[in-house]
Amino acid sequence: MIASLSDFIEYPFLTRALITTLCLSATCGLLSPLVIAKRYAFLGSAVSHSTLLGLAIGIALGGRDNSMTLFLWTLGITLVLSLFLAKATWRQTLPPDTLIGLFFTGTMGLGTLVHALTSRGSGDLMSYLFGNVLLLTQTDVAISVFICAVIFPLILFPFRHWLLATYDEDFALVTGAPAKMLHFIFVTILTALIVSALKISGTVLVNALLLTPGFFALSMARNIKSSFIVSIVFSVTTALFGLVLANYLETPSGATLAVTQIAFLFLGKAYLRLRLSL
Amino acid sequence: MLIANDISYSYDHTSNVLAHINFNLAPGQMLGIIGPNGGGKSTLLKIMVGLLPIQSGQLSFNDKPLPAPEQVGYVPQVQSLNDSLPMRVSDFLSLLPRRPQRGLEECLKRVGLEDKRNALMRELSGGQRQRALLARALRMSPSLLILDEPTSGLDSQGQDQLMQLLKSLQTEDKTTIVVVDHNLAQVLKHADKILCLNRRHHWHERRELLTQTILEDIYHCEFEHLRLHEAGSSFDDEHHHCTHDHDHDHDHDHSHGDKK
Repeated sequence: MIASLSDFIEYPFLTRALITTLCLSATCGLLSPLVIAKRYAFLGSAVSHSTLLGLAIGIALGGRDNSMTLFLWTLGITLVLSLFLAKATWRQTLPPDTLIGLFFTGTMGLGTLVHALTSRGSGDLMSYLFGNVLLLTQTDVAISVFICAVIFPLILFPFRHWLLATYDEDFALVTGAPAKMLHFIFVTILTALIVSALKISGTVLVNALLLTPGFFALSMARNIKSSFIVSIVFSVTTALFGLVLANYLETPSGATLAVTQIAFLFLGKAYLRLRLSL
Repeated sequence: MLIANDISYSYDHTSNVLAHINFNLAPGQMLGIIGPNGGGKSTLLKIMVGLLPIQSGQLSFNDKPLPAPEQVGYVPQVQSLNDSLPMRVSDFLSLLPRRPQRGLEECLKRVGLEDKRNALMRELSGGQRQRALLARALRMSPSLLILDEPTSGLDSQGQDQLMQLLKSLQTEDKTTIVVVDHNLAQVLKHADKILCLNRRHHWHERRELLTQTILEDIYHCEFEHLRLHEAGSSFDDEHHHCTHDHDHDHDHDHSHGDKK
């Protein structure tokens, strides 16, 4: 397995996968505690599945060869859909999960239909459902670096406002904190992150990257700062380990990343429980 | 001076939850807002703090229209906190949108939580959490403090401690206080003025004039049921079968008391 590490320097597609995984897993680690605390797990799932519609339209109009065109089409269409969802779920009296569920299935079904009608014989969407590092291009690497470079300051500079809007939304609104604007910004950056992570982890499995680090961190950290640091460290280390494992075992990257992260989550929690009982 | 002038509010534009509410409160006084469920207490509170817009009427504090975040300290219900984040008390008290006017230690000491600064908010008792919420509001040194169900979930000792704390803010800092609460005993005991809301309003300049009969009429049930309601019990239990219409629509006017 150690010998397979040199593959990441030797083969350009693996170097691309390494840089992309590093950037996107760090960003997922940063957002993950907020996704969980805001109870956006289902919303994230709905956004990731709605990318299928964007992908299908993007492939139909721009083809799959130009990474930037496909990314922009997918991002644009998914963003319109997710901002509609963000508006429809902002401080509603009725629980939002029904609407999110309808959105989830509606956009995914529509995406599959659009793809079936417009892309006959030009391949399927399977690579985007479960991730495929072979699809990664230099442009995808640049996009992941850009996403990471934009999202980190967007979260860290107004960190206090993010925490306030998450921990006590009513108080944030009353005291004039921009809680509503942050809600829309959060859905926007979540969408951008999900779309940029499609080739690494896929539509179906991107949620592992988004949820596992935060779940692990929030269940063991004893303060806010450490919960975000633990989440980022957990996310980066387990994602990189998953990528190395996928290369070594020659298994699909998205599935290996997801299983690795969830395995580490359970191992970590079992270790903590054992330590507490001793 | 806190002044409400002809405040009305409707969620569906057909029936008013609040209809023509008027009251005024001098600086340093405490207003208690009580009433049955659905009577409009929470709606009025949300309008005062800016969570709902003013549809009609005027609301002002010290001649400035409300909501005014720079003057108002808001203490929400304990349940509104999102405990999935491991928030320390000291971090919680520092989570403010503007530069605080009072020190962290001073506010912790004021509410008796100086030994809990490193504890997690989710590990505090109900009373301690309520005091932490109050301490956060105090950091901004508000002239008007608005509290939503502050005694909810507290035992009688916790309720007394909290109300004593509010009284000290009232007398020492001359803070004007508005308390929305189900707890009739505490509100009647401590508030200088009482506003009873049951879709219409019953304004009581002098709380001693708020008799048992008036309260029974406002809540549409007997005093024994009010006490059960206050304690959070069901209206229908083996000892107290209630046949009263708690959702009475208040179409008729109530003419007793010193209603304005």
